[in-house]
Amino acid sequence: MFGRLLKPRVTAYAHCDIPCGIYDPTPAKIAADTVAKMVEKINALDKSAMDFNNRNNFVRMVTVKEQHAEICKKELQVLWSDYFKPEHLEKYPKLHDMFWKALKLASKNKQNVDAAAAGELQAAVKEIADMFWATKK
Amino acid sequence: MRPWRVAVSGQSMEPALREGDWVLVLPPRRTPRAGDVVLVRDPRERSRLLLKRVAEVKDHGVVVAGDRSDHSTDSRHFGVVPLSLVLGRAALRYAPFRRFGLIPDA
Repeated sequence: MFGRLLKPRVTAYAHCDIPCGIYDPTPAKIAADTVAKMVEKINALDKSAMDFNNRNNFVRMVTVKEQHAEICKKELQVLWSDYFKPEHLEKYPKLHDMFWKALKLASKNKQNVDAAAAGELQAAVKEIADMFWATKK
Repeated sequence: MRPWRVAVSGQSMEPALREGDWVLVLPPRRTPRAGDVVLVRDPRERSRLLLKRVAEVKDHGVVVAGDRSDHSTDSRHFGVVPLSLVLGRAALRYAPFRRFGLIPDA
């Protein structure tokens, strides 16, 4: 009764046009995987035969590694600052530490060609992704 | 002109207005003042209604803003809203019952 008589006939928007809440750790994961793949490919190059073609490949691999480490950082930063909220921090007290370490690892992978560091980055991103999906349950 | 009964969608006016609040909007009897929560037509798409707070009154319209600027599309994006598109002032939240109350013109 109350509902039917008083129910509004129109809806007014008090929001922003950009859809909120579309967050996903997958791009960060793909970027970390790409970094690891580039490290693997660089290490597999025949260092005794660095002709122009091989050097060209080498430079491209390093460039892709650099770019995807940066993409990884950016994607993680968006999750960190925009998706995760104080109530998540209460439940996951290590949250800030996890992001800080993952971002540092992304930088380390820019500076080095290091399969171990690439693996650590992948693991750190996976940990964050697992935490993300746990908050969605 | 009759009052409007309006359902709120979105978060840009929290905590004054929340998603799902039902609001009574009175037709304007005076020029809006800064601080009023107003129902306006979106200048970009007039069939769409928006609830925002008046930040500043200009000669021919109002500058509107959401209370939560990080969750709001407002005059920063679509500019001054002409007075002809201001449909009224949001005066009262009448449902849900626990949210019943006058809308403060902070």
